[in-house]
Amino acid sequence: MRRTAHQPNHTAIPALVLFWLLVPLTPLLLWVVASRWSGTARLPQDFGLRGWQEALDAGMLTALVRSALLGLAVALIATPLGVLAGRALGWRLLRRPALPSIVLLAPVVLAPFAVAMGLDVVILRLRVPGEVAVVLVLSVFALPYTTFTMRATYLALDPALEEQARVLGASSRQARRRVTLPAATTGLVTATGLAFLVGWSDYAVTLLIGGGQIVTAPMLIGSSAAGSGNDSLTSTLALSASLPPLVALAVFTYAASRRRTAAHS
Amino acid sequence: MTAALKLLAITHRHPGAEHPTLTEVDLEVQDGQMVAVLGPSGSGKTTLLRVAAGLEPAESGDVLLDGTSVLGVPPERRDLTVMFQKPHLFPHLSVLDNVAFADRLRGRSRSQSRAAAQRYLDLVHLGDLARRRPRQLSGGQEQRVALARALAASRRVMLLDEPFSALDTGLRTSMHQLLAELRAALDPTIVIVTHDLDEAGLADRVAVLVEGRIEQFDTIQALYTKPSTLAVARLVGAFNELPGTVESGVHHSRLGAFAVPPTAHVAGRAILLARKERLALVPPETTAALTGRVVQVRQSGPHRDVVVELDRARGDDRTRVEVEARLGTTLRPGDRTGVLLPGSGELWIVPEPGVSATPPPPARVSDSAPRVHATVTDASVATRSTKG
Repeated sequence: MRRTAHQPNHTAIPALVLFWLLVPLTPLLLWVVASRWSGTARLPQDFGLRGWQEALDAGMLTALVRSALLGLAVALIATPLGVLAGRALGWRLLRRPALPSIVLLAPVVLAPFAVAMGLDVVILRLRVPGEVAVVLVLSVFALPYTTFTMRATYLALDPALEEQARVLGASSRQARRRVTLPAATTGLVTATGLAFLVGWSDYAVTLLIGGGQIVTAPMLIGSSAAGSGNDSLTSTLALSASLPPLVALAVFTYAASRRRTAAHS
Repeated sequence: MTAALKLLAITHRHPGAEHPTLTEVDLEVQDGQMVAVLGPSGSGKTTLLRVAAGLEPAESGDVLLDGTSVLGVPPERRDLTVMFQKPHLFPHLSVLDNVAFADRLRGRSRSQSRAAAQRYLDLVHLGDLARRRPRQLSGGQEQRVALARALAASRRVMLLDEPFSALDTGLRTSMHQLLAELRAALDPTIVIVTHDLDEAGLADRVAVLVEGRIEQFDTIQALYTKPSTLAVARLVGAFNELPGTVESGVHHSRLGAFAVPPTAHVAGRAILLARKERLALVPPETTAALTGRVVQVRQSGPHRDVVVELDRARGDDRTRVEVEARLGTTLRPGDRTGVLLPGSGELWIVPEPGVSATPPPPARVSDSAPRVHATVTDASVATRSTKG
């Protein structure tokens, strides 16, 4: 009896969450296959792939590749730094961890526009190329996410694992590479994913520091949403930018669940 | 013969600590020998092991493996391995790959390493669990895998840091049996750190470490019968202590005069030790028995400990002795009983703390010397037990 009484909650809550996530996406999903949808109609009057053609013409593929490269570059910088900082904070290797924690959190706490504007001035004076500057600034923004994800990961890992590896014959580098880093894989993938998303989805920093010269997917979406009035194009661009991370998340979740199942079998 | 492992005058001090954790500690372990380092919590046992393994630096002294100093050598290049109190299995590796870890580091192929690892897993009776992940194992199984991994590392010396202390009694006993089996099969050189006397009893010799100093290095039987100091006696437990003075080979106390065992080289202020199982409860009217009243009866494993307050106690002093009685004893608190002390062959004597042992005195009273019971005034006999 108790089991059946509790059963609805197990399905109702996830269903409600899914509904809450999907409702805002519904018009988007309809717009990407609509050729004509007037404001008063409940559903599109004409269906077609006009939006996709216009998105391709607007340079959607190049923008997506540029966003991916930006996300990758940010992940490549912010993840190793996050691993180092997270290890130091998680394993309490610092005597006074409060100050580094505050400094690392600052980019999240401060308004991105203010930070970007401030850094823009510095970067202009230092004559750093725009692409490099955007990557560097976004890496700073990604660092809190990677650091605190890795901090939580290292908190759950016993530092004595490295000592154990060493007394079995591993150098300190081998102990990190063969034991603690692989043991921290889940956290590492999460941190990399978050850093990638900071680069992939950024608009403000790319606009302000890139000076409009670096056209990424969010830049294309922003300009379409702000000026074109073409909802079909905007929706197609938005969906195109959302799909790759969603697919990556689905693959990661599936792989993680497979690992768990294999471990319990 | 060169010792497999030799610690020479090791002194260690934790950063900022006023007193050293280890003071001039010497320890020698021969090839194929098992040595236990026994001590209470905080005595420096684990630190000693960590210094030997190279995980902690020594302030002074030397660590020799097969006669060669390894003091500046990092842990991974010392020919020894450590099994810690926690199994520390690598969570991302299967049980088999955990055991194969050291071989893989040595550059052996995956298949060779796994084949060797499987043999060690079979030795610890876990061959069937090779493909499992560490989180799928019980505490006892984890420790068996950790033991197999340490053995598979094939190092000159294995250091075991209280490896079974987190296990329940049954599992600990089975691990002790397993260790005995492995010793018979592989003859490894082992140093085991423990606070458990039963575990120390597995070793060929036991080093008793108290407050960073080795108090005695002997067989477990010697610790039970001939502790070198009061600290060792108290660590071993179950001794009745009788303070007094040794003169001409006789210990004089308020309970009487007792011949000092010939092998005990003590003079001056000294404490006579009598194990509680060597004392006997007899009817109060028995000749030569001390008489008193039972004040406490405690269950202690398969025995009962009877605490008797002797009649001769006077004033504020409470002269009590603890006697190990059989389970069937019907004595209850308040009952009157007699207590027979053993002959000098079953007594032992240690100097009072702060008084050093001295060479044997020229004149000695033989073991068969008659006991003279003096009038008891304020002598106190205390029993200490650290094992619980």
